[in-house]
Amino acid sequence: MGFTSLPGRAARLPGLVAESTAALLVVALAAGCSAADGAAPDDDGVIEYAHEQEPPCVHGGWVQNAYLARQYLDNLVSLDSGGEVVPWLAQRWEISPDQRTYTFHLKPGVRFTDGTPLDAAAVRENFERYLDPETQNSTVFAYIGEYYERGEAVDARTFRMHLTKPYAPLLTVLTQGYFGIQSPTALARGTRANCEQPVGSGPFRIESWERNQQITFVRNENYTSAPANAKHQGPAYARKLEWKFLKDPTSRYGSLSGGESDVIYNVPAIDWGEARERFEVQQYITPGRPVALNINVSRAPFDDVRVRRAFAHSADWESAVRAAFFDVVPHNGNGALSSTPLHDPEFSDAHRRDVPRANALLDEAGWTGRNEAGYRVKDGVELHPVIVYPAGAVIGPEGVALLQNIQQMAKDTGFHVELLPATQSEYFGGKYSSPDSYNAITGYWTSPTPGLLYINWRRRLPERPNPQNNTFYDNPELERLISRANSTLDPAEQRTLYSAAQRIISEDAVAIGLYTQTTSLAVRPGLRDVWIEKSQGEPVFHDARFVR
Amino acid sequence: MTAVELPEPRTGSGRRVARWIAARAAGALIVLWAAASGTFLIQALMPGDRATLLLNQSSGENRERTPEELAPVNAQYGFDDPLPVQYWNYFAGLLRGDLGTSYQLHRPVLGLILEQITPTLVLACAALVLAWAFAVVITVLTAGRGRWLTAIGSGLETVAAALPHYWLAAILLVVFAIELPLLPVEGRGGALGLVLPALTLALPLSGFLGQVTRDEFTAVLDRPFVLSARARGMSDLRVRVRHVLRHSLLPAVSLSGWAIGALFSGAVIAETVFVRPGIGQVLVQAANSRDIPLVGGIVLFVAVVYVLANLIVDALYALIDPTLGDS
Repeated sequence: MGFTSLPGRAARLPGLVAESTAALLVVALAAGCSAADGAAPDDDGVIEYAHEQEPPCVHGGWVQNAYLARQYLDNLVSLDSGGEVVPWLAQRWEISPDQRTYTFHLKPGVRFTDGTPLDAAAVRENFERYLDPETQNSTVFAYIGEYYERGEAVDARTFRMHLTKPYAPLLTVLTQGYFGIQSPTALARGTRANCEQPVGSGPFRIESWERNQQITFVRNENYTSAPANAKHQGPAYARKLEWKFLKDPTSRYGSLSGGESDVIYNVPAIDWGEARERFEVQQYITPGRPVALNINVSRAPFDDVRVRRAFAHSADWESAVRAAFFDVVPHNGNGALSSTPLHDPEFSDAHRRDVPRANALLDEAGWTGRNEAGYRVKDGVELHPVIVYPAGAVIGPEGVALLQNIQQMAKDTGFHVELLPATQSEYFGGKYSSPDSYNAITGYWTSPTPGLLYINWRRRLPERPNPQNNTFYDNPELERLISRANSTLDPAEQRTLYSAAQRIISEDAVAIGLYTQTTSLAVRPGLRDVWIEKSQGEPVFHDARFVR
Repeated sequence: MTAVELPEPRTGSGRRVARWIAARAAGALIVLWAAASGTFLIQALMPGDRATLLLNQSSGENRERTPEELAPVNAQYGFDDPLPVQYWNYFAGLLRGDLGTSYQLHRPVLGLILEQITPTLVLACAALVLAWAFAVVITVLTAGRGRWLTAIGSGLETVAAALPHYWLAAILLVVFAIELPLLPVEGRGGALGLVLPALTLALPLSGFLGQVTRDEFTAVLDRPFVLSARARGMSDLRVRVRHVLRHSLLPAVSLSGWAIGALFSGAVIAETVFVRPGIGQVLVQAANSRDIPLVGGIVLFVAVVYVLANLIVDALYALIDPTLGDS
C-alpha cells in the first residue's frame, strides 16, 4: 500500500495525505493486535441481528439499502471515525489540479463472490448503470448525476472518473453504501436476480432472502478487501449473519433480552435505560439533514415569511423532542444540516419559542381575527396549516408524540395545525409531492457531506427539475452559494459559502430541524467489535466475534 | 355471515342435490369474481401513481418523477393502458390460472403464496382448535350452573371476545416471553413458537364461539329430552357432553366458516408481532406497496379458503344436526 504525494496538492487538500497515513496506521494496528484480550474467541459463530425495516430490494437508494450494502459490497473508499476518506477498493488515488479528474488505483487480486474479477471496467460499468435512466439508482444520480462526465478504464487496475466541473464532496459521497461496486456479471442477470441477490466483493455474500423474515448472509471465505478503517483484514470472523426483520419494537427488544438475538437495531426509547445496564449500547447521530419540517413556501399561509417565522417561534422544539424521545434522541433545529462536516452550529438552536414575537409577526401579516375556537383568521380564512408525515415508515410513535406536542404549543399563537398521517403507499406513491398537497412535510436525508445541500435546495426549473426540493423554495442566490461551495478549491471559502446557505434556510424559516436521525444498537455481552460506520450509520459485522 | 343455507334434507331427489351443488358453485364463483374485481379496482383507482410508487419505493424517496423516468415503468406494466384493458389483461390471466408477477418482488404470485401459506394455515388451524376447546370447556363447565358460575363464564367470554389482537399479542409477548421467559419471542420454529400467536388469535374467537354456544346450550338444557336423559340416571356431565353439547354446537359451527376468514386477517398481526412467516405479513407489505397482482392473488386465495371452509361447514352441519341426521 502506497500513498500519493502529488506536489502542490497537499496544500489544497491536506486531508488526503493525512488520511492515507491514518489508513496505514489503522492497518498496522489491526494486524498487530488481532487476538481478543484474554477471552477465547469463537471464530465460527452465527450472529443473529434484529433489524427494523425491510426494503423492497436488497440494493437501492434508501438508507435501508445502505445498511445491507455494507455487508456484501465494497466501495472505492471509506470514511473513518475521524471523518477522513481512507482506502478501500481504491488503494490510492490522485486528483488533477483542476479537480475534474480522479484517478483510482484498485487493489489487486480482488474478486466478486461469483468469481468475476474486480477491475476498472467493472467499476465503470457500475457507475454507468447507476446513472442510466433505465437502471438508475436515484440516490447515486442525485449526488453525481450533474457532475459525472464519464468513466475510463485506463488499465485493469486504474479507473479514472472525469467530472463536468469540480465536485469537492466527491470522495466523501463515494463512501456511502449506495456507491458499492457490484459484479458486472451479476448485474447482467436482470432486475429480479439483482433485487434479491446482488453480488459484491464484500465480507459476506447473500445466501437467501425469506421475505418478511430475514436475509441470511454467509462469510466470503476469500475476502481480502476490507477498508483501511476495518478492525482486521481478511475474512469475517462470523460464519453467518442472520439479518432478521423485527418491525415491532417490543418484539425486537424482547428478542435481545430473551437471548434470541445478539444485536438489535433502533433500541426503543422506552427501553434505552435498561438496555444501557444490560447490554453494550451504541448510538450514532447520522450526518445529513435531521428529521425536519419542510415548509411549503408556494402556498398560503406559509408563502409569507412572517407566518413561517411566527410558526418557528410558536413552539419549544427542543423540549417537545425531549418529552417525546425521553431524552434519548437529541434535538437539532438546523433543518438543513446536522452533525455533518461544515454544518454551522449557529443555527442548531435558531428557532426558539417566543410567543410575543410570534403574535406580533402574525398581527403584522394580517392574521388579526380570531374565531370562536381561538384560532387566528384572515379574510375569513382560518390559520390552518396541514403537516403531512409518513406514518410508520419514517415517523414512529415517538415522532407522532413530538408532532402532537408542537400542535398543542402552536395553538397558543393561533395556529390550527392539522396532522395528516400518510400511509406508505400514499407517501411513496407521490400523493404528497405536489405543491398543493401540504403546508409542511417531514423528511430527512442521511449524508456525510454538506454537498447534500445542493440536492435539497437546488431550484425547480422546467428544464432542470428538482423533485428533491420539497419546500418549493426557489432561491437563485441560495443555489449559487451551494453550487459554488461544491466546486470551490479553497476550504475556507467553502466553509463560508455553506454557512451562508444555511443562514438563508434558517432565517427564511423554510426548514425547521426536529430530531437527529440516529443509528442505535444494543449488543449482548459476549459479542465484540460490532461497530457503526460513519458515512450512513451502517452497522458493520465483518469484525464482530464471539468470545467465551 | 352466520346464516348458512341448509342443504335440502336427504329425502330429496338427486336432481335437487345437483341443483343445490350447482347453486353453491355459482355462488362461490361470484364471490371469487367479486373479490378479484374489487381488489383490482380499489388498487388501480387509489390516489397516487403506481409507476411513481414503484420507483420511489426502490429508492426510499417521496418525489415527483419525470415523464422520462415514468415511461419505461408504465410501458413494462401496462399502467398507461385504458383501465378496461388493464382489467381484461388481469382477468384473462386469472382465467389461465396465471395470478401474475409481483411488481415489487419480481416473482410469480402463485409461487409466493404457496411458499407462505403453510405457516398461516397451521396458525389458523391451531387457533381454531384452541378456540373451540376453550369455548366448549367453559360452556360445559359453567352454562346453566347457577347465577354465579354462569355470570363468571359469560363474563369471561365477553371480555375475551372484546380483546383486540394487537393489544393481546403485546401483553402475551411481554408476560410470557419477556417477563417470564417461558416461550420464545420469535415464533418461527417449532410448536413452542406457535403457542403465543395461536393464543392471540384463539382467545377472542373463543369468546365469540362460547357466547353463541352458551345461548343455545342454556336453551337446550330445558328441553324435555334432557330431562328424560337425566331421568334415565345419566350423570350431569355426560348429559351435558353427549346430548346438550351436540345440540348446541350448530351456531358455533356455522360461525367457524366466518372465523377462518377472521383468523386470516388476525394472522397479519400475530405474524408481525411474533415474527412468523406467513401470508398475512406478505399481504400487508403488498398492500403498502400497491402490488396489485400480489394483493389480488392473496385476496383471491383467501376467498377460495373462505368458500371451501363454508362448504365444509355445511357438510359438518348435516353431520352434526340431529334433526337432519334422523331424517
